[in-house]
Amino acid sequence: MTVATPGSTLDHGADTPCLLEVDNLHVEFRTDDGVVSAVNGISYTLAAGETLAILGESGCGKSVSAQTIMGVLDSPPGFVTAGEVRYRGRDLLTMAPREQRAIRGAEISIVFQDALSALNPVFPVGQQIGEMFRRHRDSSRKDARRAAVELMDRVRIPSAADRAGDYPHQFSGGMRQRVMIAMAIALDPAVLIADEPTTALDVTVQAQIMDLLSELQAEKGMGLILITHDLGVVSEIADRIAVMYAGRIVETGQTDAVFRSPAMPYTEGLMASIARVDQKGQRLHPIVGAPPNLARLPDGCPFHPRCPRATERCPRELPALREVFPGRRSACHYAEEVLGG
Amino acid sequence: MAEPGPSPAPASRPGPAPSGGTATATEPLLRVERLVKHFPLTKGVLRKRRAGQVHAVDDVSFTLSAGETLGLVGESGCGKSTVSKLLMALEKPTAGHVFYKGEDVTALRGKDLRRLRRNMQIIFQDPYSSLNPRMTVGDIVAEPWDIHPDVVAPKDRVRRTKELLERVGLNPNFANRYPHQFSGGQRQRIGIARALALHPEILICDEPVSALDVSVQAQVVNLLEQVQDEFRLAYIFIAHDLSVVRHISDRVAVMYLGSIVEIGTEDDIYDKCAHPYTQALLSAVPVIDPRARTHKKRIMLVGDVPSPTDPPSGCRFRTRCWKAQDLCAAEAPALVDRGQGHPVACHFAEVVQVVAPVQPPAPLDSPD
Repeated sequence: MTVATPGSTLDHGADTPCLLEVDNLHVEFRTDDGVVSAVNGISYTLAAGETLAILGESGCGKSVSAQTIMGVLDSPPGFVTAGEVRYRGRDLLTMAPREQRAIRGAEISIVFQDALSALNPVFPVGQQIGEMFRRHRDSSRKDARRAAVELMDRVRIPSAADRAGDYPHQFSGGMRQRVMIAMAIALDPAVLIADEPTTALDVTVQAQIMDLLSELQAEKGMGLILITHDLGVVSEIADRIAVMYAGRIVETGQTDAVFRSPAMPYTEGLMASIARVDQKGQRLHPIVGAPPNLARLPDGCPFHPRCPRATERCPRELPALREVFPGRRSACHYAEEVLGG
Repeated sequence: MAEPGPSPAPASRPGPAPSGGTATATEPLLRVERLVKHFPLTKGVLRKRRAGQVHAVDDVSFTLSAGETLGLVGESGCGKSTVSKLLMALEKPTAGHVFYKGEDVTALRGKDLRRLRRNMQIIFQDPYSSLNPRMTVGDIVAEPWDIHPDVVAPKDRVRRTKELLERVGLNPNFANRYPHQFSGGQRQRIGIARALALHPEILICDEPVSALDVSVQAQVVNLLEQVQDEFRLAYIFIAHDLSVVRHISDRVAVMYLGSIVEIGTEDDIYDKCAHPYTQALLSAVPVIDPRARTHKKRIMLVGDVPSPTDPPSGCRFRTRCWKAQDLCAAEAPALVDRGQGHPVACHFAEVVQVVAPVQPPAPLDSPD
């Protein structure tokens, strides 16, 4: 079931069981200013124990697919207009609400970027973590509390037993994010989605959190979807990467291989535009212009107005995400030339 | 600054300020001396009682020469933005002095302060809240001339505004548009144009690219570098992104909990860092190039930054430091050169190469 059909899913080892498949997902937002296509037919798969990074800038639609999987898409204005999200082969979107609830939170869980607004300010964190057990496992108050303290210990919150009664505002940003992670791993999910888990954190805290996530993943064999705009974090943790631009996946492949030789000018442009701590005096080559407004996407390839390689073909013809070589897909008419440097 | 200063300002334009010591030919453009800023914490609603203080900036000293870029790095809450406000005289220091060409900024008021501020401008992190949404872009860029009318004659204003907009890469015909019609990167360009309007000598950049999209950050960094050369500007570049700071800075100061723990040239800090905090900070930066990663052992700091209301005794980093000994709690290490070639505030300073040595640009970097 893991073999990808051309143009739709990502490749990964054919022997690994596929946990989650997002297939040709379309999501639009119906706003006063018109219909905004936030996600235009994206597809990806995730296997157990694997880390998939979804890389993109703000507004490229990278969080929308996560919200759809978790059933927390604001609707209205957001509507899924086509596509499936299959968990262990069954479509989450058409499942009965009761079944959906049993899977979400328990089998698939999420860590949001902003822990302060994701946590309820008027309940102690221990109670909020314990709620996972109360809801899904019908635990007693006492058992839920004990399990919550154990989890806080597990995510290395110091003196967990004492702090379980504290409220979210009494924790630092890094500690709050640990509370979020504790909630997310409470029921041993098979899939963990981390939506910009460290964007609001300092770099030393970011290292701690990413370290914790990798450790938990290795221990529990979770599939991890990491949604981020940070190329550095992606390169250190992800096995595979899907680069998104303007609501589409524009390149996929093994992380190191993609970063070594991108097959899409957008990925190439991102690589050339960032300053790097292990290099000095290098010139930065920015991508010209700004990401497009999703309500008014350019014709053809959405990247063509910013692309140094664009030809007259690009505004006329939308390139499909196609296989350039086994394990690599690119949505560029000239992927082979881009690869060749 | 609304409140009266402690002493009448020595405002004679040419001569050095009395407290400024000797302003000789070697006097740097900006000299910051033992700057301290404590914010009071109060308790009670009707009768406010003093309940302690936040040690936002403690004993910070550095210099800045003409045309130079000093990077100021540290994590949130380390006091780097408070330093920028003190430099701009937007906050009054609890103690210490800021000398601009030998003149004590902290003692200036009114007209003299205004005159000085012309030479020092700031661009802010958030290009959305730092531009007035009700003013056109042209008015925003020209507003500094309302306060300093002698810089540009009224009849030349429109022309100069257009020149400035063009200089920062915006269409000069957009002068009549409003900020909301621009993207984040374009708004930051507007902020830069406004800062350049008075021909300053020093530009304080407080996290100028942190709020921007990855693909747009480099545009603004490149623009800052271009206008620096063109106008011979000195930058104080405040950021938490150590990669961008390395790219743009000549010298770098690393701050922790209100104090500078290490200061040196870009090479000193990135290749020969000697303070444990700098080492931990640098080792936490994710590295894209897998070849550069093999050199690296990540130093994982435990715990959080202590509260600045109650900083640890002695060395402030000691509570998280793997080298800490009794001496560290007893005695705060001075920021001096301990044989590493640059000042380090650590009793046990030792040079460690944390970042992989600079590699020849890999194919990774050449887009063509």
